[in-house]
Amino acid sequence: MTTAPPQETDSTSSDGIRALPLRTAGYYLLLLGLVVFYLLPMETGFMTSIKTAVGVRESLPFLLPGTDLSFQIPFVEFDVDTMLEQTTDEKWRDAYDTLSRGMVNSMLFTIPSTILCAIFGSMAAYGLTLVKWRGQVFVLALFIAGIFIPYQAVIIPLTELYGFIDLQYRLGAIWALPFLSEERHPTILELIITHTAYGIPICTVLFRAQYQTMSWEMIEAARLDGAGLWRIYRRIVLPLSIPMFSVVFIFQFTQIWNEFLFSVTLIRSSVDEAASVTLILGQLGQAIEGTDFPLRMAGAFVAAAPTIVVYILFTDKFAEGVRV
Amino acid sequence: MARAKLDEVTKIFTEDDGSEVVAVDDVTLDIDDGEFLVLVGPSGCGKSTTLRMVAGLETITDGEIRLDGTVINDVPAKDRDIAMVFQSYALYPHMSVRGNMSFGLEESTNLGDDEIAKRVEESAGMMGIGDLLDRKPSDLSGGQQQRVALGRAIVRDPAVFLMDEPLSNLDAKLRAQMRTELQRLQNELDVTTIYVTHDQTEAMTMGDRIAILDDGELQQVGTPLECYHRPKNLFVAGFIGDPPMNFLQVTNEDGTLIDHSFEYPLPPQVASAVEGTDSLVLGVRPEDIELEPDQSRADDHTISATIDVVEPMGDENVVYLRLADGATIARPDLAEQDAAEGTHVNDAAVEGSDDAKEGIAGESRSTIIATIGGMQHFDDGQDISIRIPPDAIHVFDADSTEALHNRTLQDADAVPGI
Repeated sequence: MTTAPPQETDSTSSDGIRALPLRTAGYYLLLLGLVVFYLLPMETGFMTSIKTAVGVRESLPFLLPGTDLSFQIPFVEFDVDTMLEQTTDEKWRDAYDTLSRGMVNSMLFTIPSTILCAIFGSMAAYGLTLVKWRGQVFVLALFIAGIFIPYQAVIIPLTELYGFIDLQYRLGAIWALPFLSEERHPTILELIITHTAYGIPICTVLFRAQYQTMSWEMIEAARLDGAGLWRIYRRIVLPLSIPMFSVVFIFQFTQIWNEFLFSVTLIRSSVDEAASVTLILGQLGQAIEGTDFPLRMAGAFVAAAPTIVVYILFTDKFAEGVRV
Repeated sequence: MARAKLDEVTKIFTEDDGSEVVAVDDVTLDIDDGEFLVLVGPSGCGKSTTLRMVAGLETITDGEIRLDGTVINDVPAKDRDIAMVFQSYALYPHMSVRGNMSFGLEESTNLGDDEIAKRVEESAGMMGIGDLLDRKPSDLSGGQQQRVALGRAIVRDPAVFLMDEPLSNLDAKLRAQMRTELQRLQNELDVTTIYVTHDQTEAMTMGDRIAILDDGELQQVGTPLECYHRPKNLFVAGFIGDPPMNFLQVTNEDGTLIDHSFEYPLPPQVASAVEGTDSLVLGVRPEDIELEPDQSRADDHTISATIDVVEPMGDENVVYLRLADGATIARPDLAEQDAAEGTHVNDAAVEGSDDAKEGIAGESRSTIIATIGGMQHFDDGQDISIRIPPDAIHVFDADSTEALHNRTLQDADAVPGI
């Protein structure tokens, strides 16, 4: 058998001038295409959000305010005065003013549910993976089944359940405390409970995947070192699952923050005291006289901001966590 | 420090399909205060399970384990005052060496931080890892991690040390070095130690006594030399010693061992010991076989053979010999074979006799190994005689595998522990 001599790469042309390899150029072209594909909607949204009503009417959505295409060179009509005239930050202010109430409400149930999901999920995974007991498989099966229950199937039972429990009435004394209100916080509590319950199964499965790779001998070593169940969790398992906590925080925060169906069924109306950001966003810029696109776009950016902040905060650990 | 006693300890695992596997069968062991006991056997023999029962990591199906007279069957692992070194070291990866070593003291004692720090530094000094205290396990070499694992055990000052193949992840040179170091450490600390290994060299060199397990059953407990020179059965004889003891399948006819190709008259004293048993296995250690190049000097105790391969080791030569056609080698193949059942030995013997069919596997089985001085020279393929001195032979009952006669030792009194 003969082996072919190594192929001369086409990175150097015959006259010795270094040319961009065709292959590399292709990659960059593809990357550029992807960047445009993914960023164009964002760019369009942003451009729309800073335009006045006139601006929206008179320029293409993805172009700067006061800009239009033409059939004469340079194919773009642009005028600084028109641009400034048609640019406004009013929609962002509007969106922020309208949504801030919902943002606070959403924070109030998203942050506690995210933290609770992660903690309970981690504990459940620990109990199902690193502790041996009878009937474990059955309980695990229940958790996994929990992931696959469709939201739609639980909406009616859920409203019935909270109607029956009536947190507003039962915990009446609590709502009388300072900073709490009867109109708002019972619903928030319902949302916390619901989102936590719904998030635990998937969190458990995520943590379980990591705990299964943990050294069993290490857990045994800790037992022989005199640590009990709780101490092993607290001092060995928990510190080792910090990267997975980041994954779960980002994942659950985004899920719960963006969730709409539970908000609709439990809060019902965007004018409710406890209205979530998604609920208000749905109504934003909708009026009989038409849709206010700039306002809706600005609202979408404002509503998405917290998830981006969470991504940035946990990125390092997230990268570590998904490597597990 | 404590005296540990295992009393008829049995462990039965129930598989998922409901079938039961006996991992440890009725093992009784008495380990003295400060003793170094090595549990040795092939993989799957139940040695690790036995250790884990002492540690409290496995439940005990039957029998009792006592520490200083107190039954600890139902004492949870965390309250047993036992430290264990694992094969994988099982260090806590997120803690520094200091954190790893102080964890046990923090969890199991009420010592103050100063006292804990003092003890950790003492033990780290003893293990030569004093300058590594602030590093994470991932920054350490395998040998250093091993030391940390040992340090983590000794800092606890436990009643009993358990070690589960602690040296098997080290390279050969470091392993030999740690072997001596561990012995020195154990002598110094004088803590009762149970050490599990599959390596007979570790067992021979480290243990005050060794306990040989096979298929969950205790085969023999004794000092290393006792097990070497006075094996109780075929399994122990074959397991202890490297290269292993040679076995020949023979029949007994009025005090003479008969095989197709040779007859070996037994000394009267041995003949009376084996009287009444027809099917026997003759055992002889490689170092006891003498090679006689001059075949004319053959006598009653020589067998003709051909040299197959010579492996020079420098100080000695390991000589692989093939016996004349028809000789039957009984080699209870340790890993695969159940030496406790005589029939298996017979099977091997039958297979071994048929060289042509067996190929390489058969050849290795029908090979006699002798070790001779490094200065003696032989050629591959040379026909010679091998002499098996009558005072060096072991004779086993082929059916029960029990030893009927062990070699005579002239200076037995001079060597302690036999």
